Amino acid sequence: MCGALPRDDQKTGYSRRAMLAATGLAVATSGCIRRVRSVVNREEIDQFSLTITTLPADGDRESILLARAIRTALEAAGMAVDIRMLPEDEFLRTVLVNHDFDIYVGRHPGGLDPDFLYETLHSRYVDEGGWQNPFGFANLTVDDRLEAQRDADEDRESAVAATLDAIATEQPFVPICVPAEYRLVRTDRFEGWTDAHPATRQSYLGLEAASEDATLRTAHTDPRPSKNLNPLAVEYRNQGTIVDLVYDSLATFDTGAVSPWLATDWTWDDGTMTVDLHEQCQFHDGEAVTAEDVAFTYRLLADTTLGSREFTAPAPRYRGEAGVVDEVTAHDESSLELSVDAAEAVAERALLVPILPAHIWRDRAVTASLPGYAVDEGTTEAIVTDNVPPVGSGPYQFGERVEREHLTLERFDEHFTRRDDVSLPEQTAGSIRFQIDPRSTSAIELVETDAADLTSLPLESYVVDDILDARDEVDGADPLPDDVDVLGSPSWTFYHLGFNTRQAPFGNPNLRRLVARLLDKAWLVEDVFDGHARPIAAPVAQEWTPAALEWDGEDPVTPFLGTDGEVDREAATAAFEDAGFRYADDGTLRVRR
Amino acid sequence: MLVRVLTQIAVVVTLLVLVGVALFVGRYRFRDTRLEWRDRVRKVAPITAVLAAVLLFNSVARQIVPDLSLLVGWNVTWPIYDLEGQFILWLQDQATPVATAYFSFIYIYGYIFLLVFPVVAYFALSNTRPLRELLAAYTLNYTLGLGLYVLALAYGPRNMMPELVEALLYDTYPQYQHLTRQVNRNTNVFPSLHTSLAATVTFLAYRTRSVYPGWAVIAVVLGVSVAISTMYLGIHWMIDVVAGIGLAYVSVALAGHLVGRWSLSASLSERDLSPRRLLER
Repeated sequence: MCGALPRDDQKTGYSRRAMLAATGLAVATSGCIRRVRSVVNREEIDQFSLTITTLPADGDRESILLARAIRTALEAAGMAVDIRMLPEDEFLRTVLVNHDFDIYVGRHPGGLDPDFLYETLHSRYVDEGGWQNPFGFANLTVDDRLEAQRDADEDRESAVAATLDAIATEQPFVPICVPAEYRLVRTDRFEGWTDAHPATRQSYLGLEAASEDATLRTAHTDPRPSKNLNPLAVEYRNQGTIVDLVYDSLATFDTGAVSPWLATDWTWDDGTMTVDLHEQCQFHDGEAVTAEDVAFTYRLLADTTLGSREFTAPAPRYRGEAGVVDEVTAHDESSLELSVDAAEAVAERALLVPILPAHIWRDRAVTASLPGYAVDEGTTEAIVTDNVPPVGSGPYQFGERVEREHLTLERFDEHFTRRDDVSLPEQTAGSIRFQIDPRSTSAIELVETDAADLTSLPLESYVVDDILDARDEVDGADPLPDDVDVLGSPSWTFYHLGFNTRQAPFGNPNLRRLVARLLDKAWLVEDVFDGHARPIAAPVAQEWTPAALEWDGEDPVTPFLGTDGEVDREAATAAFEDAGFRYADDGTLRVRR
Repeated sequence: MLVRVLTQIAVVVTLLVLVGVALFVGRYRFRDTRLEWRDRVRKVAPITAVLAAVLLFNSVARQIVPDLSLLVGWNVTWPIYDLEGQFILWLQDQATPVATAYFSFIYIYGYIFLLVFPVVAYFALSNTRPLRELLAAYTLNYTLGLGLYVLALAYGPRNMMPELVEALLYDTYPQYQHLTRQVNRNTNVFPSLHTSLAATVTFLAYRTRSVYPGWAVIAVVLGVSVAISTMYLGIHWMIDVVAGIGLAYVSVALAGHLVGRWSLSASLSERDLSPRRLLER
């Protein structure tokens, strides 16, 4: 009788529930029931299906192109892939705050110093929201090495190399490429564009202006600064360049070096930093900038509830920088002491966070309120406020904004850089107008028709060939108008594919490595970026990349399973099977979730 | 930049309307209009006021629709792409510079002309019912369309497949970006309001074909061109266009129903004379 039972296989296709109903009565003997139980009470093994979360072309053209190419590659390995596009702020909130994704494709703000990897990957951050460990990645070796590179002094380079090696082995995310940054600038009204990296505050200062009080007009391809100016709001910030104009930090950086800014100087003595501030500085509302504000800022970044609740709510930005600071003590109005748990090179990064006025932010250390809605623990006003108008102490103060149209900043006349005894670059533009213009082509047109002086964000790669041809006066290309030039700069941002390792099977490093091997990074650079990017195996600036992780025509760690962007199905299948994964007869990859 | 584009559009559309008036409306209707315009204005004033109010509300509501949609809407981009991505691919394959120029012109100028001209043409009729139906249908399009925008969050093909449509509208003519950005949000693609308004005009033009036979032909050609242009330029999916046509059909049918019922000034006198019979005489 048992032999007469229909088998619960693919051909008959009965579901478990139907089987139970149909056979429950028919089966009489206990032995048969046990067999049925044994067959039926097993979870199904489904096709490996996943969703790639990414941005639409209006948000980040390269991301959606990468996502579609990656989808094709993953499907070649037998996976079922959907793509979910979200607007930029929603994308960042979904991925970084809610961790609601399988894998995502996007741009990482990166960092000039490899210590940004500490916040990115250390397991102590798995539960926080922000750029700190959105992958939920926890690995003891990586933790150890991240800590070692923080504490390393002379041997930091090898400590970083060891960290990168462990990360490359684990592939918590797949670094894809570093895009080349090109911007278009006008040189007739302002000059000196090459003095500083255009993603830093210095690039907007110390320019030579053709006339005093002239307005610096930029075409800004990201509408978010017109909506929100909160330095802590991770959903609205890229690299924080605009925020850096409104807020001062103790130190500032440009391609490599950290140098004094609001701090006149600092001394380092084995874990203790003594910092002196420029005296008698003011916030834009006239209140004095004191050492107490600085101490407050570090306390707020560590916990935006300021300790008022048991549940801490660290800021979703500046976690890596501020995280090394254990304690801040204000000595007097303008000097303070930071005790830091890191070697000097990393400790200096702690000086890069924006100094927030305590008299404004203290009231924001409360749980955000929304009538009729139970707001989640840790959602403080400090994180969700749009902070308009922002009050900082930086060289430019808030002027006005119209959502999705423009943000205008005005020169702050009381700024310390204007003092005679301070030899730092000062404001030359009377105001800066960030004109929102979401597409590269129309942003270029604004610069070419003298409606803007600069495209403030890097141009999308598909227009780069056109403007380079125009600059080089290649035959057939319209030359650039007079006084318009192309500004190329190094980048420390990178495109990457992030895994949510909290979800099976992404917790398996072998799977992550295999997914990495399905990406032909060099081909993606050609196909998506028109060659205006650099494929990478290590997500750090070139000078920090160890020889073993140098790109040498192919990926040194996860070489591509195929040629010219085309996945070799057989090789991919074999590699997955080798790692213990199984395929169904129809070629689909099956996993237990 | 925006001012220049708007001026350009105003000039071109005015010229087209003048040509249309000369071709389709004719001298006699024009003469009657000069005599009767006060009376006609009085009759269409209520629905015009409603339309104006809806448009005003729309311009405000559109600022919050994307946020509202992200809160309560359903992200349908992927289901749509999965279902019909191939069709848009095929359509993009047919691209030629001439077709691009034509459809870009249609998308901007042809569309506005298509919406403006029937207002003028129907105003030139003694019977104000077609005009009132037209304005009521516009109102319904905007109202129902806004509701659908809230429920369905979707990105158009150009956001999914930028490499295919890059040479089209916004990159060939970047100035239009400034215009459409004022009007549209990129997540409002389902349904295609461009298509639904164009189809509304086309349906009504077909209904009034005995009065304006020439216009009926032009309206069909323009209506179809607008629908194709939205897909050709990668702004809408075919499903958006189909939904747009459906929305137009519903709006026209509802408008016909409502205008007869709630007419303030003319309901008594027109009860026995259905507009169709009146027009067919």
